[in-house]
Amino acid sequence: MDDKHSIPVVEMVDIVKVFPGVRALDSVSFSVQQGEIHALLGKNGAGKSTLMHVLTGLYTPDSGTIRIRGEIHENLNTAKAKQVGIALVAQHAKFVPGLSIAENVYSGMLPLNWGGFIDWKKMYRDAQEKLGQFDIDIDVSRLMEDTTVAERQMIEIARALFADASVIILDEPTAPLPKHDVAKLFEFVRRQRARGASFIYISHYLEEIFEVADHVTVMRNGVVAGVSPVKDITQPELIRLISGANVERYKRESGKIGNPVLSIKGLNRPGAYTDVQLTLNAGEVVGLTGLEGSGPGELARGLFGLEPLGSGSVMLNDSPYIDGSPISSLKQGLAYLPRDRHGLGIVAIRSVRDNVSLSVLDRLQQSLNLIDGAKEKELVSDFIDILGIKTPSMETAVENLSGGNQQKVVVAKLAATEPKVLILDEPTQGVDVQAKVELLRIVDKLSQRGVAVAVVSDELSELMDICDRIVVFYRGKIIREFRKNHEPITTALLLAAIEGETLENTNASV
Amino acid sequence: MQASKHIPTLLDHLIWVILVGVFIFFVFQSPVFLTSTNITNIFTAAAVLGILVVGQTFVLISGNFDLSSESTLGVCALFGMYLIVPATPPYWGGGILINPYLSIAVIIITGSLFGYINGLLITVGKMNNFIVTLAMLLILRGLMMAFTQGKPISGLNFPPAEVYFWLGHESLFEIPDLIKIPVGVMATGLIFIIGHIVLNHRRFGRELYAIGGNKQAAIASGIDADKRVRQAYIISGGLAALAGWMLAGRVGSIQVNLGDGYIFTVMAAAVIGGISLQGGRGTMLGALGGVLLLSTIDRGLNLMSVSVFWVKVIQGLIIMFAMFIDAQRVRYRKPQAKVAAVTASPANPA
Repeated sequence: MDDKHSIPVVEMVDIVKVFPGVRALDSVSFSVQQGEIHALLGKNGAGKSTLMHVLTGLYTPDSGTIRIRGEIHENLNTAKAKQVGIALVAQHAKFVPGLSIAENVYSGMLPLNWGGFIDWKKMYRDAQEKLGQFDIDIDVSRLMEDTTVAERQMIEIARALFADASVIILDEPTAPLPKHDVAKLFEFVRRQRARGASFIYISHYLEEIFEVADHVTVMRNGVVAGVSPVKDITQPELIRLISGANVERYKRESGKIGNPVLSIKGLNRPGAYTDVQLTLNAGEVVGLTGLEGSGPGELARGLFGLEPLGSGSVMLNDSPYIDGSPISSLKQGLAYLPRDRHGLGIVAIRSVRDNVSLSVLDRLQQSLNLIDGAKEKELVSDFIDILGIKTPSMETAVENLSGGNQQKVVVAKLAATEPKVLILDEPTQGVDVQAKVELLRIVDKLSQRGVAVAVVSDELSELMDICDRIVVFYRGKIIREFRKNHEPITTALLLAAIEGETLENTNASV
Repeated sequence: MQASKHIPTLLDHLIWVILVGVFIFFVFQSPVFLTSTNITNIFTAAAVLGILVVGQTFVLISGNFDLSSESTLGVCALFGMYLIVPATPPYWGGGILINPYLSIAVIIITGSLFGYINGLLITVGKMNNFIVTLAMLLILRGLMMAFTQGKPISGLNFPPAEVYFWLGHESLFEIPDLIKIPVGVMATGLIFIIGHIVLNHRRFGRELYAIGGNKQAAIASGIDADKRVRQAYIISGGLAALAGWMLAGRVGSIQVNLGDGYIFTVMAAAVIGGISLQGGRGTMLGALGGVLLLSTIDRGLNLMSVSVFWVKVIQGLIIMFAMFIDAQRVRYRKPQAKVAAVTASPANPA
């Protein structure tokens, strides 16, 4: 193995892949050394997925060379790629949820006893031992569906390693993970690296790159924009490479803050939040943050009727708020942008037009309750213009748009309802740097029109950029509230509050 | 490369290409195929099937199945006749002798009610739609047999039943030896047009597409998905009753197996016409194409005197072919969808 150390495990040279109308990969070269974590960055549509599809044999390149451990592989197909040790760990690993962890680990090669029956004892023992080798300490008789997403990803990586994979592609592994699990996953990945495994790490989170990766390759518009050891590059430089321009962070100026629109008093929901007091004012942007499960997400979903709201007083524009279903929430002027865009946000197979007008079809009716097609098209094309949705036409299926544009479609659908209160749950999750800025600008625009906006997020720098107030939850309670222009807000202060430090504690320690 | 771009579009409209091809094939195979009588026969056969398919299309687009519609058709045709004709042989009715117009209204309401029950069990009872409607298929057929003890109910030679036969039996715009358009065919045509308008230009239809495409997202967009699904089932049940009324007029005497096995043809027509069994995709126009294709093939094989046994085999093969086309549609759409899913955003942890 040692003599091979200088030869890259993966070496892709001058890869070209053309799709009708697009040069998806234009002479791309990419290499990964043994025992390194190599980050692959780029906006949605920059070509990183196409490149990975070429490496895993799903796409055949039009030209170029692929060498695995120095050996040239032509006609790489998915089976062959697997054979030479390339494995892709998708964000949502494919498991059978109703079976035990052990059965999932062994799927396809269950150990049999002398009678030809499954040797359960041996299976559990071996599975426990095998996972143990990879430092996964978990009861393998538990059902797969009871594991956390982080555990599942670790098991998936381990499973690939059992099958002698030496290069593992991690596609946005941390996006669905709560913060504390991210650390666990990183620790795990580092340990496997120490054992000689190589990782290709795809992510939108730049901080993570500095935390975990050794090398970074940035792609833009189908070409490599830059390659560098991580220690030799800074975050602004990375952003510049990714976007191709010097992207400023979007800083929102506080606007005119109007009357209270939504006031919550003494709201309780056992297991979710306790004694919530919160007021959202017209024209104001309020950030809600905290550890995963500490309350803000639960409150947002509760208010929108996707989960029970609990007991307490909630007033919307001075009348009692009727909770329980998205229908009644939207009717009263409270709209919610879900965190789970694919599950709750878009109807992927339907067109941009169908998606944008979905919540306001009642307003578009004319005689005989028929939908006024002209009015509908006008509404949709207005939103396409205002929000800058990049789509070939309004009849394009939303599944064919990039993540950022899909998110804008959801925002358009909500904005069309002309809400008084807009709650955005992780609005910039999984969208590229440029689209992030555009989304934040849209949030700003909506607040200027007098909408009371709440943003649930753990992207602290974003919250600091756009919020008038940041409310921090800890174990279901509002533990601190930071007001812009009243007190300094820093990441350190926010993090301390998120970890449970109250104002009294802070003062006492000073 | 350019050609592959057009494959999905071609697949979506393949039905019309095949229909024309099959039509021309039969014209060469049988001298009587291209006569006005035969064309009328094709449309007449398509009429009953078409109504069932319109109802089924609503349910399929919402992401559900209604397997019970053939039994609803049978029960309603029988029940309507039972209310009109005497209890004595050869009629074997209920001897209630109610006004046929009232009887028609009663069965349409009855059919809609069966649909509503399906809808309630599925949306409120949270039961699986496939199994619920399969159970309903058996229950209604069984009730029909138990109720009549297997005896047919006939309205033949009973003048008041004429009204009941009008939809399935009469023709309009008759020019002797040249053209006559059966009332049933016009009714079905009208129902397709209304179905198309409702599906594309009314809130109900648009919301059904969203529900079939992604139910959770539809709910989060403020749509009452359960109510819409119930309404789709009510339409399916009501239209099945209407189809029963039409078929009653064609046969005159209702056997207990009326409509038995029809559901396979209904599903085949819908799928051949491009209605996705996963929901959210498909058009009324496509469904119409599926109905016409199956009716044309059926009639053509009949004229060619193909044995009934082989007709079954051929029907089976056609259904398989339809599923093959459906699979190709999915396949040709997938590469795009897959790339979008990978490059796009994280979905939430399950």
